[in-house]
Amino acid sequence: MARTTPTYTPPGKYVLGCLFSIVLLISDLNYQTFSPLRGAAQASGIYSQLILESLFENITEFKALYREKKVLIKTNQKLNNELLQIENKAFLKKQAQLLLENMVYVQNGAQVLSKQRESKLFQIASFDFKNYFCCSRHTIYLKNPSKLKIRSNLPVSDGKTFIGQTAGMDLNLIKVILFSDTSHNLPIKIKEVYCNASGAGKPLLVSCFFPRGSQSLNLQINDTVFTSGMGGIFPKNILLGTVMNIADDSLDGIKITIRLKGNPLEKNYFGVLLD
Amino acid sequence: MKFTTHSIIFLSIFFGFCLDSLIATFQIKTYLSLLENTPYLMQTCFGFLVFCYWVYAIPERLRIFSALLYGLLIDLSFGDAVGFHMLFFGISSYVIHVYAFRFRLFSYIQLIIFFASASTFYLACEYLLFSPNNYSYFLLLSSFFINAIIWLPIYFCMRFVRRKLL
Repeated sequence: MARTTPTYTPPGKYVLGCLFSIVLLISDLNYQTFSPLRGAAQASGIYSQLILESLFENITEFKALYREKKVLIKTNQKLNNELLQIENKAFLKKQAQLLLENMVYVQNGAQVLSKQRESKLFQIASFDFKNYFCCSRHTIYLKNPSKLKIRSNLPVSDGKTFIGQTAGMDLNLIKVILFSDTSHNLPIKIKEVYCNASGAGKPLLVSCFFPRGSQSLNLQINDTVFTSGMGGIFPKNILLGTVMNIADDSLDGIKITIRLKGNPLEKNYFGVLLD
Repeated sequence: MKFTTHSIIFLSIFFGFCLDSLIATFQIKTYLSLLENTPYLMQTCFGFLVFCYWVYAIPERLRIFSALLYGLLIDLSFGDAVGFHMLFFGISSYVIHVYAFRFRLFSYIQLIIFFASASTFYLACEYLLFSPNNYSYFLLLSSFFINAIIWLPIYFCMRFVRRKLL
């Protein structure tokens, strides 16, 4: 008679192992138990990647010493970086000014005149491509060579518009949560309609839900979308993107999909509006 | 099993997952430039298939503890929820163990179907848990075919590595 399990495979250990994994998974998904550990592990991975990259860059640079184009390459790179920095600085300066004028705190509903806000540019350290493509979590990490303490919930820009907000630090790397992350909610304004846009879990997309028969009926595809200023993180009236699709979702009412203008894949430097 | 053997196995699985990330980068660019209104087209599972290969090739040496350990390390390295890869590596390890010697009698096409189905099941669970908004049957179907195509290159490549290094 043929045996079902020619190898010795005691199911008990496997059942225990799987139960243990399920407990870990549920505790991590529901209570973020291992979030700091995961962040630290990811940050260490990014650091090793950066060290390898700099090693590789040094070798490439060493080779380029023997080439006439070296100076041109460096100048080009420098100019590119400077251009990105100038673009980002100009945008952030404008936003800092706007925040002073327009920021509304929802908590007390009163206009708050804060001190002049500073902005700082950071180079990208890592982009979580795998999750950006497949899953709900969309994050990037920024380098922090000057070891600044960056708190959570600060706006992050790509030089033209905002792309997300800071979500704390992992081993001195700044974690940024993008608008398209499903756990992110962004107060927006389309014409005179206000809503909380949540990330769609797809690159560059966020979505809003309206009950049927509401003001959303006046909205059209290609309508421009702005920040509403609610929530106190982003200044109001900053162009975020355009309405891409309006669909009747049988469960939740009218679903409006918005395509964001700021593409984090296109830039190497991002600005953070500090306190 | 020796530490170096574990290291080689883990590194090959790790590179499999890195390859998945690399392919995802190209897919994002294509998706953004051409196919924005469509569901995602496909996803490769190099890392998962490499793990399956090792359990299939040396079942007597890779047991539950190794599967859980590799799963934990992959979860931590790639920022996934802790426990997800542990669970799937554990389940797939058990199924492959139970049928380890039957697989030896299987033809290539039967192996392809089994491992492509296993990776499709893994993908379906990944999307259901972490990104239910993007879950689509089209993605699962196309991923089944893609993973079926990549199983044989992984099989021969990993067999070569195993014979050279282990």
